[in-house]
Formats: sequence, C-alpha cells, structure tokens
Amino acid sequence: MFALLLLQASAEDITREMERLQRNFAFLNSGLWVAWFVLVIYVLMMVSRERKLKREIAGLKAMLEDKPR
Amino acid sequence: MRDKIIYVLGLVAILLLARDLYLITGFPAERNQGVIFKIIFFHVPMAITALTCALVAFTSSILFLVTKKFQFDALAVAVTEVGLAFLAGNLITGSIWGRVAWGIWWTWDARLTSALVCWLLYAGYLMLRNAIEEPTQRATFAAVFSIFAFIDVPIVIFSIKWWRTQHPQPVFWGGGSFPPDWKAVFGWQMLAVLLVGVVFTLVRLRQEQFQREIDSLRRMAHAL
Repeated sequence: MFALLLLQASAEDITREMERLQRNFAFLNSGLWVAWFVLVIYVLMMVSRERKLKREIAGLKAMLEDKPR
Repeated sequence: MRDKIIYVLGLVAILLLARDLYLITGFPAERNQGVIFKIIFFHVPMAITALTCALVAFTSSILFLVTKKFQFDALAVAVTEVGLAFLAGNLITGSIWGRVAWGIWWTWDARLTSALVCWLLYAGYLMLRNAIEEPTQRATFAAVFSIFAFIDVPIVIFSIKWWRTQHPQPVFWGGGSFPPDWKAVFGWQMLAVLLVGVVFTLVRLRQEQFQREIDSLRRMAHAL
C-alpha cells in the first residue's frame, strides 16, 4: 500500500516532503539549543555572582582583621 | 556537606539528562507533527518546573509574613529566580514549536499571554527587591508582591480549559495524544529537569547566605 502510494507520488512531492522534514528537524535542533543556552547563561550568571560575593566577604574579613591593629 | 549534596544531585541530573537525550533522539518521528514534537520533552518539564517554583515562592512568602524568618525570604527569591529562567526556556521553546505547528512565532492567546505576564510579574518581583535597601522592608514588600503574582499561575494552567486558545489541550490531562512508549522517558525527563531546578535553587540559596554574611560583616565594620 505504502509502496503504491510512493509510486504515485511525484519527485516534486518527495522533495517537498524531504524539505518539510529537514525544516522540522532544524527547528527542533534550534529549540533544544535555546533551551540549553538559557540554562547555561543562568549558570554563568550564578558563577559570576558567587565569585563576586566570595571576593566581597574576603575583602570585608580582611578589613575587619586590620581594624583592631 | 551541603556542597557535596549539590555536586551529587547535579551529577545525577546531568547523567539523567544525557541518558534521556540519547533515548529521545532514538525515538521515531511523531505521526502528526514529525520530529518537532520531541521538543515536548523540554517544553513541558520546563513549564512544570517553573510553576512549581512559583508555588514554592508563594508558600515561602506566606511563611515569611507569618514567621518573619529570613530563611523563607531567601527561599522565595531563590526559587523565583530559578523559575524565571525555566519559564524563559519554556516560552522560547514554545515559540519555536509554534512556528512549525501553527506557522507563527507568537499569538496573543490566553495561555501564551498569561505565561508571558507571569514571567513579567516575577521579573518585576526581582526588580522590586533590587530597589529596596532595608532588608526587612524588602522582604515584606517582596513577599506581598509574590503572593499577588501567584494569582496568575492558576490562570496560566487553566487558561486552555477556560478559553478557546491556539495552544492545544494538554497531552496528559486534556485528551491530547502522546505515544504510550514515550511516557516513561517523559517521566524521567521531568524528574531530571526538576532536579536541575533543585540544584540551581540550592546554589542560589547558598548565595543568599553569603549575602547575609556580607550584611553582618558590613554592620560589624560600621560598628568598629
């Protein structure tokens, strides 16, 4: 049945279907990349914030240790 | 000890995500929509994680107002920020899926609009926190705002039931079709994305602790 349908389909139909599948796959690909990208950006933001906070704590501790002297 | 828990949970989440990704790529294309349907494995878990974060923020905001304990305020801000990242991922993947399924990137239907409003409300929550210096006042105002913002969450969830929308009915509780042999992997993917959310929240909570430490060190420095 499927083979008969395939025989009835013209070369144009097959090309169109192949293009549709490729476009579909390209969109899925970009969707997955974007989903990961958003999370990676958020992780990078958290890492940079943590570094800043740790630097600030170290600076304040050093300042407090120096003050009594 | 807490850092070790974060690392272990993070590792488990990464392994689960890698395994799921391997299995998802092996699935055949869905009958009606083709391969793009597989984006559901990211789109829906991200939405559920984001709305779970909103629920936790709502609960911890109420608990802060009742107990005045700053741990609840820290939890509220941590989950709100994490939920915002996941909701952004959900909106973007939904837009890409919509472009293929409907031929448009965006439409102002009830589900999409309420989800965008939800994102804007929680972004407003974070901006409000940045605008207030005094910690008690900041936590109180933010808690009230978070409770107010949560009103939008049931609207996001039930909008597809209450109004006719471009967005389809949910695949699991709204009569939509979902390949039965994909369900187990979907469950694992759901767990993996939730686990990523938990790890992010724990990291963000640790940062709130650092911030409190900085506040107390500053007070000590001023007192000397």
